[in-house]
Amino acid sequence: MTDIIQVSIFGLLLGGVYALFASGLTLAFGVMRIVNLSHAVFIVAAAYVAYFAFEELGIDPLLSVLYLMPLFFLLGVGVYMTFFIRIEGSPRYVEMTVLLTFGLAIMTEGLLGWRFTGIFRQAKPSYLTDAFFIGDFLVPTGQFYAAVLSLVLLSGLWGFLRFTRTGYGIRATMQNRSAAQLVGVNVRRVSAISYGISAAFAGASGALMSYLFPFFPFRHWQWIALLLALVVLGGMGSLKGAVVGALVLGVASSLVVDQIGPGWGPMAFYAALFGILLVRPQGLFGKELAA
Amino acid sequence: MALLEVRNVNAGYGKGPDILKGLSLSVEAGKSYCIIGPNGAGKSTLLKVISGLLQPRAGEVALRDTPFHRARPDQVLAAGICFVPQDQAVFPEMSVRENLTIGAYLEKDRSVIKERMERVFEQFPILAERASQDGGKLSGGQQQMLALGRALMIDPEILMLDEPSLGLAPQIAEQIFATIRDLESLGITIIMVEQNAVRGLELADWGVVLDLGIVRFEGPAETILDDPRIRELYLGKTVDSGSGS
Repeated sequence: MTDIIQVSIFGLLLGGVYALFASGLTLAFGVMRIVNLSHAVFIVAAAYVAYFAFEELGIDPLLSVLYLMPLFFLLGVGVYMTFFIRIEGSPRYVEMTVLLTFGLAIMTEGLLGWRFTGIFRQAKPSYLTDAFFIGDFLVPTGQFYAAVLSLVLLSGLWGFLRFTRTGYGIRATMQNRSAAQLVGVNVRRVSAISYGISAAFAGASGALMSYLFPFFPFRHWQWIALLLALVVLGGMGSLKGAVVGALVLGVASSLVVDQIGPGWGPMAFYAALFGILLVRPQGLFGKELAA
Repeated sequence: MALLEVRNVNAGYGKGPDILKGLSLSVEAGKSYCIIGPNGAGKSTLLKVISGLLQPRAGEVALRDTPFHRARPDQVLAAGICFVPQDQAVFPEMSVRENLTIGAYLEKDRSVIKERMERVFEQFPILAERASQDGGKLSGGQQQMLALGRALMIDPEILMLDEPSLGLAPQIAEQIFATIRDLESLGITIIMVEQNAVRGLELADWGVVLDLGIVRFEGPAETILDDPRIRELYLGKTVDSGSGS
């Protein structure tokens, strides 16, 4: 039993980080119906910035969040205004976002590979190998910091969506785009801001990735598959679903790794994905799919 | 000068044929209009064009002689024209209070928002009782009240209602009609498409009959109601059965 609790603690810490990674992906789909296959490559790009800021300038990866979020927000707004605004009226908008973000992912991966090669990187701040005990249970310091930061950022996002005027506009657009327009929401502006926030969260996720997970350019395909699995599990476009899906899968994959073996961890994600698609295709917190 | 003018508008969806075919309509301030006509006549399409949800292919829409037919829906709303569509008008995962708050999205003065919300709660006490409940969990009639209440949060000059009584129990529909009458007495210009054409015309000052994308007849609502030709062509079923147009 103690083992299971210990593994579950690892899983929850991991799930908290996954929730941050997935939040931007689900926000982009919820507000703009963008299936953003380039989300993970943005995370990897941010991880490179945080990695070199640590290696060259000694800036702690956790502090990198402070500049990566605004930087990636602007980048996201720029990407939205440059690419997505042009296909807004297309009857095949969702399909086109898949192709567009696929192209963006390939292009960014190529640039990263050309600039940084395919060598694995990982920042190694002092707390990476530290740990502390809560009762009988071991808590890795680096993962704990990452989970706490994720919690803070996700709470901030929740508060922003809940209590600010722009947040109201974003939520309204997520729930009913045309009705949002009719109450005065400029959905184009709200969409650009949402894509910026989505990218800002990719930036913050990259800061955490830089020291938690070894990375190289091609790695983003593994990440996007995993993130899509947990976003589908939670319900595409549902922030609450992304958080719950991430925590559930974080714990589930940790238990699978502990009980069966490390190679089987990712399988937990896809098994859960197939399972949920069979019994509840709209995901845990998603809306019913239109016929 | 007319408050709102629709001039020779052609409009349709995607690559489909024109639904509105050179439609013209003039709306005067403070009057209420009921638009009737068979299915496919272009009634809802006309409201979508005025609201900015659909761009006309030709012609123009002008408010106080200023064309605005290229404006976005939020800009149309800011100009004082509010549209309540016939379905899916409510934000299902927002509470009643949040639905009303976002109705005043363009209003920045919190005290004004609070005052208007109190007025809506007086108008629809059931919404005050359900203030914390999600919009999507209300009954159809309550959702329609919420949609109407939300429209009042912006204090519109022109209120456009698409089938406000659609799918409602007669008692609830009467409550909605009573509210519309209250709004008329406040001087709000109302343009309404109503499936219960007789009831809609009884409420309105002016009747407009649309057919095949153009205005076939228009005139004082009483005259339209009493015109035997129109009764036979467009109100027949309604007069006989009391529902549908």
